[in-house]
Amino acid sequence: MNWTQSMRKNVSEKLTWDHLLPSEQPIYVSSLVYSFGVFTLSSLVLCIVSGVVMAAYGPTWYQYSGVGSLFRSVHFWSVQAFFFFMTMHLVGQFFMGSWREGRAFTWVIGAVSFGISVIEAFTGYLSRGDFFSQWNQVQSKDAFNGAGIDGFLNILNNGQVYGLHIAVLPLVLIGLVGWHLVAVRSKGVVPPYQARANAKEGRRS
Amino acid sequence: MKRIRFSRDTLQFPQKDFDMVKEGVVSLGIITVLVVAVAAIWGAPYRPAVTNQQVALQNPIGIGQEVLGDLDGQGAIASYGPPYNNGWHGKAQSVQSFLGLSPQTWWGTPYHVNTAQADVLIPLQMLATASHNGALTAALHTYKTASYTQQQAWTTAMTNAMGKATVHNGQVVLPSGHYGPVALMVNDEINLAKSGLLSGALDRETNKGVYRWNVQNDLLFLQGQVLPGIANNINMAGGQWGINHDEQAYPGPWWLTPYTFLYQIPPWSTGATGDQTAAYSMGFLFLLLVLVPWIPGLNKLPKLLPVHRVIWRDWYQRLERTGACGQCPLRASCTQEFREQSQAHMGAAETVPSCYLPDESMAYNQNERHRSPGVSTLRTRTD
Ligand code: HEM
Repeated sequence: MNWTQSMRKNVSEKLTWDHLLPSEQPIYVSSLVYSFGVFTLSSLVLCIVSGVVMAAYGPTWYQYSGVGSLFRSVHFWSVQAFFFFMTMHLVGQFFMGSWREGRAFTWVIGAVSFGISVIEAFTGYLSRGDFFSQWNQVQSKDAFNGAGIDGFLNILNNGQVYGLHIAVLPLVLIGLVGWHLVAVRSKGVVPPYQARANAKEGRRS
Repeated sequence: MKRIRFSRDTLQFPQKDFDMVKEGVVSLGIITVLVVAVAAIWGAPYRPAVTNQQVALQNPIGIGQEVLGDLDGQGAIASYGPPYNNGWHGKAQSVQSFLGLSPQTWWGTPYHVNTAQADVLIPLQMLATASHNGALTAALHTYKTASYTQQQAWTTAMTNAMGKATVHNGQVVLPSGHYGPVALMVNDEINLAKSGLLSGALDRETNKGVYRWNVQNDLLFLQGQVLPGIANNINMAGGQWGINHDEQAYPGPWWLTPYTFLYQIPPWSTGATGDQTAAYSMGFLFLLLVLVPWIPGLNKLPKLLPVHRVIWRDWYQRLERTGACGQCPLRASCTQEFREQSQAHMGAAETVPSCYLPDESMAYNQNERHRSPGVSTLRTRTD
């Protein structure tokens, strides 16, 4: 088998413009629930933009200067928005059974993104550098140690925690979200469950 | 065994105009305006970290007690166990083991802390050198060369006395007793903390050079008594849902609720291996979430619950209005999932759900488009 050929075939068949960026949607796509994914994505963009600015200027800037603390506040509230919309999105997709008809993997990537987001947010809280960080660092060390993660992560080492927060985990998350979106688009929006038996006989029958 | 699965081609459903790029841009705009407005109005929580210096000035006895615990092995970190040490004289207190499984110990002691050395003897040695303090140098020498029994006798006497100590003009006043060199050592360390230099000495130990990233020993110094006391005053202790809430009225990391909930109820709240079992419980619940598509019962639940009928109400209303299901060649099996349809339907290549084939009477929206009506087979795939 020629890997190059099969890769090209796969990509050009599954990732056409009609799949990736359609200008039409099936008419059943008609609910606010469909917007939660986009709101989640928008909040994530805002988290990343504010985070990049904060990382560029450094901790003292966002802890002690006026503009810096505005950016820190934007970062704080965009995380709240991100988790709010992600939770709504998750619950919505659950009620729609969106893993049906070949979309299970989309669900899996989504759920793993949720898990990574929780760790990302936690390392963020520990990077705040205030009493909340201090207290949660000494508190959570027992949980990390007890679970056996101590071999990899020293939660009291701010160099490691900060690096995870601003580089490693965001890269993983961006990769996962990109994958999630391509998976969603290549399959198309999941069709509704079949109509119920008593709804089958329409007016005209 | 090969199972035939159906998956419906979403492009075969009636379509309507949709501007994805516009949706994205508008959504980003709305979220940005909302978040920036909220951030400008309410800001974000920040409570300065507690320093050794502050504690030494307000509560010098607290510092004295931490120092003694570190010196005589009564402190929580002194006898913690992996990853910090192997306990105090072989006795480790904070090793969690569930069903004989103790992953905490698998890595040895990568973040080594001997509290007597790290928190007391080394910082005091630095202080003695820096200040040409002959009395302190002599006290340290006396302490280090004494027998373990003698050291313990001094520290035990001093620990008991600390319980009765008072503070006058910022100085700790002890009842008289046989404390050997320990009284001077503890007093000098309290003064070192008051000066603000103790943190620097502790940070120095966990960073091998000039740069200070690893604040392990500094954080561990206050973690036994002092920090929990402060956290308790502001309702942040573990049994008070600790990490779940932030300062005052600000929302905290509420998404950790399932996790912090475990810490409120037995066996997690009471067991000595609470952290370990809480971590495993959460790992298990997370695995359930990831695997929902394959978990029998759970993966059919949304079909049973009527919520999807509300989300797709326009679609179901349309099916009813147009009588699409009544004419559908698949109506016999329509209450089942497509993928579960019998082999019989497979054979009839022309059998197509009528919601696929929009005729004029079905169209109720001017924006609807019909796509390649010639396509008349269900997609099948095998796996
Ligand atoms: C990292 C955060 C996430 C982002 C940015 C994100 C984004 C999106 C977007 C934009 C869509 C398409 C529009 C929509 O239906 O809302 C989507 C669809 C989907 N998401 Fe997410 N999502 C995230 C997390 C999750 C989570 C946690 C789950 C569930 C565990 C999940 C499961 C799904 C599923 C199954 C679909 C497909 C829906 C369909 O085919 O109709 N996503 N996601």
